[in-house]
Amino acid sequence: MSSLSASPGAGRRVPARRAARGRPAPPPRPALVQAALAAAGIGLGVTTALAITTETASQLTAPGGPATFAGSLTGLVGTYLALLMVLLVSRIPFVERVLGQDGLLRWHRRLAPWPISLLIAHAVFITVGYAEAARTGLWHQAGVLLSRYPDMLTASAGLGLMCLAGTISIRAIRRRVRRETWWAVHLSMYLALAISFAHVIVLGPAFVGHPVTQAVWSVAWLSTAGLVLAYRAGLPVIRSLRHRLRVVEVRPEGPGVVSIICSGHELDRLAVSGGQFFCWRFLARGMWWQAHPFSLSALPQPPYLRLTAKAVGDYSASLAHLRPGTKVVVEGPYGTFTRDAQLRPRVLLIAAGIGVTALRALLEDLPAGSRPVVMLRANRPDDLVLGREVRDLVRHKHGQLHEFVGPREEASITGQALRRLVCDLHRRDVYVCGPEGFVAGTVELLRHLCVPEEAIHHEAFAL
Amino acid sequence: MTAGRTWRRTPLFVAGSVAGFTGLIAWHAVDAGTPATAGAGGTGAAGRSRPAATARAGAGQRHAAHRGTSSRRAPTDHAVRTAMGPGVNFGYGTIAVKVTVRGTRITAVSVAALQTLEPTSQQICAQALPVLRSEVLSAQSASVNAVSGASYTSAGYARSLQAALDTLHAW
Repeated sequence: MSSLSASPGAGRRVPARRAARGRPAPPPRPALVQAALAAAGIGLGVTTALAITTETASQLTAPGGPATFAGSLTGLVGTYLALLMVLLVSRIPFVERVLGQDGLLRWHRRLAPWPISLLIAHAVFITVGYAEAARTGLWHQAGVLLSRYPDMLTASAGLGLMCLAGTISIRAIRRRVRRETWWAVHLSMYLALAISFAHVIVLGPAFVGHPVTQAVWSVAWLSTAGLVLAYRAGLPVIRSLRHRLRVVEVRPEGPGVVSIICSGHELDRLAVSGGQFFCWRFLARGMWWQAHPFSLSALPQPPYLRLTAKAVGDYSASLAHLRPGTKVVVEGPYGTFTRDAQLRPRVLLIAAGIGVTALRALLEDLPAGSRPVVMLRANRPDDLVLGREVRDLVRHKHGQLHEFVGPREEASITGQALRRLVCDLHRRDVYVCGPEGFVAGTVELLRHLCVPEEAIHHEAFAL
Repeated sequence: MTAGRTWRRTPLFVAGSVAGFTGLIAWHAVDAGTPATAGAGGTGAAGRSRPAATARAGAGQRHAAHRGTSSRRAPTDHAVRTAMGPGVNFGYGTIAVKVTVRGTRITAVSVAALQTLEPTSQQICAQALPVLRSEVLSAQSASVNAVSGASYTSAGYARSLQAALDTLHAW
């Protein structure tokens, strides 16, 4: 049997059919990226200035003035940053192609504590400021704010939801809850933002009596909501209706690892590169309500599509029990772990564990005779899933394959090994894929070996 | 994609922030200083100009216009007349002002109706309205300085009062 086993039964490789497949658009031009970044900066500047222009010197010196001012400043900036966070993860193809999935998730994780902290500060400052102005106690003022101010009850509920979603995303807590729980709670962030929108327009000093500001703010939020709906819901629905994917076969690949082969319509219209992934939603009992990211482990071969996944949670464990005929809804393809990112003439591909799935598809996507160097890392020979397919593909591309199999102390990929096995490292782009720790360690190693940032591409699999 | 590449672009974000910030501050400064924009206040839409400035300038213009036609003043110079201004929405609530004049003199002014959106505005009104009242009585017109910290209330108060005075044709 040859390298591609996407089509069950007949594993015959038909390279000619791939020509019909569209390629995803290339990454956007740097000028556009810079313009988008500058625009985001301008927005932050304008929002900050907005809080200041509506403030007068006499208001600042009045009782509660400083706290109220701090409250409106933190509120405006916090809300704006929340808007950026939503845009960052709204699956807009532009953002996706610039940052890549793991890049934008990293930014989202790094920046997300800011809007939440600022909005909590906003609530505290406003309560303190109003209490000082009214000469009442804090708790009494909080009660008055909730009961007698329009839209404040929903806004407070929104803040509560936001805190909940923020808390459950703290790394130490996130590890202890099931991914499904986290996902459901995290999704309530959209609800939180939606229900706290009204109090900004109705009560915010920068907005009341300023129809232009109200209009600009509303348009910004409505278009963000539109983008989220279009790219997180609309596009996946359209794609899924067009391709009508169904599970054809579930095949064990190794300990806890299964390949799922789906068939669908018009897959040649699906613009996908090797190394990309989809968020998969299997319409089976107990699974339909959540989507999980899994890499394609082979290029689509119409009418077939294959993903390979490792059972690490309840969800991926239940993948092994999927019945043929189960309908599948997909979001994607996503990811910049593709040959479009390649800058130098050759490549070095490194994968550990289940990271081999993305590597396998990327390898298949490389031109014939491109002489890739491939390194696979696994704890046990059994964990080297798709090993035979990778071997066949490497031979087909006239490349070299190095397997590092064994306990970490004995068989890890070291700087020494890299230097010895890849003599032309300076002429190669390096693609690293695997668990987060492995990816971070290998990227660090490559930096030590003076591989420039531009030539390192990585995708960490959050398990 | 690497963090390094993204970091190198942060100066652009910072530059954008500074530009956006100074841009809005500068625009606001220019906008507040231009009397032409103050006229927009008459429609109830204050635009980006400060409501206090709106109230003063708007009332001032009307004041000047009426002074020019003061010869058409009502013949009974010492009659006591009362008028109620319309309810004016000032953003955080609605205010209606009642005024009493004897001849051309404002002898009494009071708030006929006041509705506020929330308690804070209620407090602000409670503090500002006595000040506004005494200002009107001493200035003898609706052209009064906004009470600090109550610029929205002051603007609404002045607009309702001016409308009441207009109906009396006294000013």
